[in-house]
Amino acid sequence: MSQTYTKKSSISKLNSKAGISSLLIFVILLLAWIAGFSSRLFAVIRFESIIHEFDPWFNYRATAYMVKHGFYNFLNWFDERAWYPLGRIVGGTVYPGLMITSGSIHYLLHLLHINVHIRDICVFLAPVFSGLTSISTYYLTKELWSKGAGLFAACFIAIVPGYISRSVAGSYDNEGIAIFALQFTYFLWIKSVKTGSVFWAVASALSYFYMVSAWGGYVFIINLIPLHVFVLLLMGRFSNRLFTSYTTFYILGLIMSMQIPFVGFQPIRTSEHMAASGVFALMFAVATLKYLQSMMSKSEFKSLVIYGGLIAAGIVFGTVVLLTYAGFIAPWSGRFYSLWDTGYAKIHIPIIASVSEHQPTTWFAFFFDLHVLVATFPAGLWYCIKNINDERVFVVLYALSAVYFAGVMVRLMLTLTPVVCILSGIAFSGLLELFLRDDEIAKPEESGDEEHTTPKNRKYDKVGRVPKMKHELNKEPDGIGPNIRTIISVVILLLLMLFAVHCTWVTSNAYSSPSIVLASYSGDGTRQILDDFREAYFWLSQNTADEARVMSWWDYGYQIAGMANRTTLVDNNTWNNSHIALVGKAMSSNESAAYTIMTALDVDYVLVIFGGVIGYSGDDINKFLWMVRIAEGEHPKDIKESNYFTEQGEFRIDGEGSPTLLNCLMYKLSYYRFGELKLDYRTPAGYDRTRNAVIGNKDFQLTYLEEAYTTEHWLVRIYRVKKPDEFNRPRIPVANRLVKSPNFVSKKSTKRKRGTLKNKPVIVKGKRLSSKQS
Amino acid sequence: MEQFFTIPYCVLEVPNIKIKKPSWLHQPSSTTVFAIVLLSYFLVTGGIIYDVIVEPPSVGSTTDEHGHSRPVAFMPYRVNGQYIMEGLASSFLFSMGGLGFIVLDHIHSPLTPKLNRLLITAVGFICVLISFFTTWIFMRMKLPGYLQS
Repeated sequence: MSQTYTKKSSISKLNSKAGISSLLIFVILLLAWIAGFSSRLFAVIRFESIIHEFDPWFNYRATAYMVKHGFYNFLNWFDERAWYPLGRIVGGTVYPGLMITSGSIHYLLHLLHINVHIRDICVFLAPVFSGLTSISTYYLTKELWSKGAGLFAACFIAIVPGYISRSVAGSYDNEGIAIFALQFTYFLWIKSVKTGSVFWAVASALSYFYMVSAWGGYVFIINLIPLHVFVLLLMGRFSNRLFTSYTTFYILGLIMSMQIPFVGFQPIRTSEHMAASGVFALMFAVATLKYLQSMMSKSEFKSLVIYGGLIAAGIVFGTVVLLTYAGFIAPWSGRFYSLWDTGYAKIHIPIIASVSEHQPTTWFAFFFDLHVLVATFPAGLWYCIKNINDERVFVVLYALSAVYFAGVMVRLMLTLTPVVCILSGIAFSGLLELFLRDDEIAKPEESGDEEHTTPKNRKYDKVGRVPKMKHELNKEPDGIGPNIRTIISVVILLLLMLFAVHCTWVTSNAYSSPSIVLASYSGDGTRQILDDFREAYFWLSQNTADEARVMSWWDYGYQIAGMANRTTLVDNNTWNNSHIALVGKAMSSNESAAYTIMTALDVDYVLVIFGGVIGYSGDDINKFLWMVRIAEGEHPKDIKESNYFTEQGEFRIDGEGSPTLLNCLMYKLSYYRFGELKLDYRTPAGYDRTRNAVIGNKDFQLTYLEEAYTTEHWLVRIYRVKKPDEFNRPRIPVANRLVKSPNFVSKKSTKRKRGTLKNKPVIVKGKRLSSKQS
Repeated sequence: MEQFFTIPYCVLEVPNIKIKKPSWLHQPSSTTVFAIVLLSYFLVTGGIIYDVIVEPPSVGSTTDEHGHSRPVAFMPYRVNGQYIMEGLASSFLFSMGGLGFIVLDHIHSPLTPKLNRLLITAVGFICVLISFFTTWIFMRMKLPGYLQS
């Protein structure tokens, strides 16, 4: 706002005012950066500088590899320690943007002789990038509305929990930098639509390239921007600016996105990208028609449009169908289907449905992640729809699609959050403009607003805002009194304060746990750290052979590879469903059937997570039904989900549980010798605290495996798979034995329970040993 | 040029029909668009997609110590679960808060008399505050330790 009324003042005044306002903007953005950075540090302060969760461990391992061996070796890296015996071509199956970003920061710092360990760069990368995100959000909102709204949006996105959930210190994941790339690409795109200059379009294509290298969510951009263009065409807002920016962006973006090895030829071959090329063709068709229109009479033009349009549409449709049929264009991928047909994943791809962050969203998540912004979002949307122009069409479409996707998957709250921040910034700045304004400067501001929000060249705008009549402006009465105004602004500020309190509380309580170090609080407030995961992984790395193969459920694959540096069978990169199903089958069969699978896969150790002792709910027994489901998908003859339920259709681990469940490998490995353990005086032995039941199968022995290690709180249990000669050694009759055992006949009989010791010195009572005395 | 686009008419006979653009097809007004948007926002934030996929009951029930079953509106402690009614109630509150903010903006319009402005302000404000505090209470039901520790 300040910018607009400086126009009316004299030059010197303008200079000083502009200086103050840009200083203010700078300070506010800096503060937003600092606030965002520091509120993400809860985990580091409470625990230590450590990589969190699952996927970040792979990213960290890959980054460390790249820093050590160089970029080209990283691209050619074949990781034989994952997906045994298949291996994984890492360079061709990752989005390398994250590793390159932190690798180049590492390189730069080391050039300056600031010797920071790569782990610390990885830990602090996401919080640092959150500051960049808020700056790019500021610029995007400034283009859409005004500077004040931009500052609001920047502050919101710095602390909003929906974004913090993916960018706390230590959560070293693609999303942390991708949201910055997303916002920046959108900003450059809006800029290029507004100016129609090739420069901005090229810049947005470059930023899109960075986004493609960083996160698979780039598909969102390459569908949203064509959608924007398409809707603008429908609204009759075609312009040369739009033509220049879209064609430049599309061609450059297409070519550059194909440079990422993992993306490869997908942009021209898969259906997800077809909308962009379709709009590209349409753009040319519309431009040609516009050109011909200037040369032809009306009736000629009409028939040309009808026939030409029909023929062109037919040809395009036919080609796409033909190419899809011939296999040049891949049909929609399963993950993409599950966004539209919400029941698809549940039926066809259990592995996608099994991930908790792919669950549909409840109302709670919306409020938890956005708080007051969830209510101001419609208000901001209303402002944008009321005063529509080219770039606001974009933000409206962005908002609508993001809301829908966030409803389908909890994880996609992340893409909703930035647009909610933008629109809430607009709403708050609109409101405060109304209520905080002093009466004497009301008028210039009003007209300034008009000037600011209307771009100079709006020739093609047909439904733009009607400028206010002069007499209406002049007779604007005082409105509501200053008292009410003050009250309202104070209450709005209070709401904002509560928002900040909520954000900090959520960040500290919900999103700042590393999940490989658990903390529990006892009644008097003292904290107990459960470091079982690292204990187990450290044991693995110290006590097993270097090439030992560890079988576990896929959740823990990256952690085993990252911390224990051992070969895993499956990991969090769930690219091979049948391999995972094989592991699931081994876990859900009985011991002997599992043993054949495990020997076929050369398994040396099996690792299970068991939370029954401390009441940790994310353990393998609770995930077990997914293993069964995934195994059933591939081996429907051997595994049946219904066998694992009781007659009443319940999943129970106590005495009434189904016998198939009580004898499967996962059950036995989790509860081996658990029946002997009495946790406290009130509960019976073998009482599972997570599921609140006494286990049903207490007394059993393992034939094919032996317990190798169990951590302090039984959280991780590791078993060694016996070699065939260790358990099925046939008994050789004494006569045929080569190594004779000394003849020893036990004197123990049913009457005499006491055994005897061989060569035991005989003690004669009443006589001293002479040697000892002398 | 002339010949080029008259080629089809050598083969085809132009049918004698007139296709009129249907009268209802025009660019919708901004209010209509916003109404549709708000409705879909209401449904999505209410977790309608969750309701379709997971198919929870509309209201849960529990058995108290006397053996009577009592209805429970909120699924407590379960962050990733909800009953249908609870979702709709809270998304209604979200939308009400949004509408409150929009109503507040209406004092902008210069034609409303002074009393109406006051009323509008009051209505908008009450909407915002009610929605905010009721959602707060809902949160406390759902997550008993909310903003406490």
